[in-house]
Amino acid sequence: MSTDSTVLSYWSWKKLSTLAPGLLLFGTSAVWAHHVEKHLRVDPHPVITIHNPNGTVTVKAWTKSEVLVMADHNSMNIEVAVVQNGNRVDILTQPIANSVAPDEMRADMQVNVPEDAELQIHDDSGAVTVNNVLGDMNVETVGADVGLEDAAGYLSVKTVGGSFQCTRCAGRIEVSSISGNFKLLDVRSYHIVAQTSTGNILFDGQFLPNGTYHLKNYSGTIEVRFSPGDSFDMNATSLKGKVNNEAKLIPANRPQSSSPRFGNTLFGTLNEGRARVDLTSFDGTINILKRSN
Amino acid sequence: MNSSMNCENFHSQLESWLEGERTSAAESHLRSCHSCQAIVQDLDAIHSAAQDWSREEVPAPSTRVWNSLKAQLESEGLIRAHGSAPAEESSSWFDRLLPSFARPAMAGAYLVALMAGGLLLSSPGSQQMADQRWMEGTRNTTSPVRTELDAAETSVASYQPSDPVVMASLHKNLGIVDNYIALCEKSMQEEPGNETVRDYLYTAYQQKADLLAEMTDHGDEGR
Repeated sequence: MSTDSTVLSYWSWKKLSTLAPGLLLFGTSAVWAHHVEKHLRVDPHPVITIHNPNGTVTVKAWTKSEVLVMADHNSMNIEVAVVQNGNRVDILTQPIANSVAPDEMRADMQVNVPEDAELQIHDDSGAVTVNNVLGDMNVETVGADVGLEDAAGYLSVKTVGGSFQCTRCAGRIEVSSISGNFKLLDVRSYHIVAQTSTGNILFDGQFLPNGTYHLKNYSGTIEVRFSPGDSFDMNATSLKGKVNNEAKLIPANRPQSSSPRFGNTLFGTLNEGRARVDLTSFDGTINILKRSN
Repeated sequence: MNSSMNCENFHSQLESWLEGERTSAAESHLRSCHSCQAIVQDLDAIHSAAQDWSREEVPAPSTRVWNSLKAQLESEGLIRAHGSAPAEESSSWFDRLLPSFARPAMAGAYLVALMAGGLLLSSPGSQQMADQRWMEGTRNTTSPVRTELDAAETSVASYQPSDPVVMASLHKNLGIVDNYIALCEKSMQEEPGNETVRDYLYTAYQQKADLLAEMTDHGDEGR
């Protein structure tokens, strides 16, 4: 089994002494024993799958019709395999020895992809960051946090305990977690379904005409920020918690029988009611707050 | 409300009423009871909708599904069983409710029947009875799921985790979901008819199933 001393065997003392000033300069930045770098030509709309049990995964879009994989890991008992099959590229961190300790399975990788790439990412722990990719993506983690910026397409994210932040995202967003917190900032999505059990949800984005926004948790806070010019139909229910509202909603003209008999509920329309917003919590607090700027 | 017949009595005669067998007591009660008038109006509306749907082409469910639906409604006391006559040959209110249904339209009928069941359960006169039925229904739905999940949880406990840190995170979240299930079940006891609580409960079971599947994957990897 590989240990830190095995990893160090790859380095001569001479090289270490050469690197020492650099190590001092960069302080805590990681030093990796193994580096993988591969360039692969792809056609439009390539599919990129990444399976990395532990470590950071950073995906960035670029204008080239190729995929660049740069990965680093410390253990000689694992490898980062990069396999191209037609227009699909599979990147997989896998053991190459019979027995591999869990902490050896760590690899950090940066992947550059065409902006129309479709992504499928699985990362149990660590972090996943995706920037400027416009294709569909599916991200699954256990504890890894997920951050998307300037993404579009159909975005499906599932974590167990990892947080999720989406900044300037568009398209369709579906995110679920058990204990992760969600932040949806400056989003321009026409369809959002966000569900976490004990996490908080913050939505600070645009309500597009005919858009649907379903935010749901069990406990924790759901916070939605709006501008006076926004146009939506609001349905906010907290079964055991509070609903705080700063919007001047026009009460909905609904038949009595369709109103729930339970919990604290708020129905109403802001302006023309073009978007539909459903906020549901079991015993959490729902805040519908006016945007400060 | 008429003194000689209450809502519960009227509900028990609803099947006969819809078959055209209408006693004067029932007619008298209906004239004075807005709640039962609403139910009859709703059933009439369903009847009309069913006739519209029967003109549309929809796939036919099997006779088994049809019989299963009837059996379910009978077991819940919403309609009475008709002796030993085969279901497809009987002419209960249920069949008459949907007189012009061709078999291809019965997928719609399935939905209509569920709506009718829901309407009967939601009538105020039978709130206590409805609550009991909701409880039984929820229990019947969740009991097999709970048994399966308990068995899966026992199996997972024996696995050697491939990554103890990840497994610890999964166990922590399993604890959150178990707590959430317990609170939903408590709320179901307090408010059996609360659809939102039931929805939360089912979601929690789904989350538990997903978590156990994830734990199984991580356990398998380590074995």
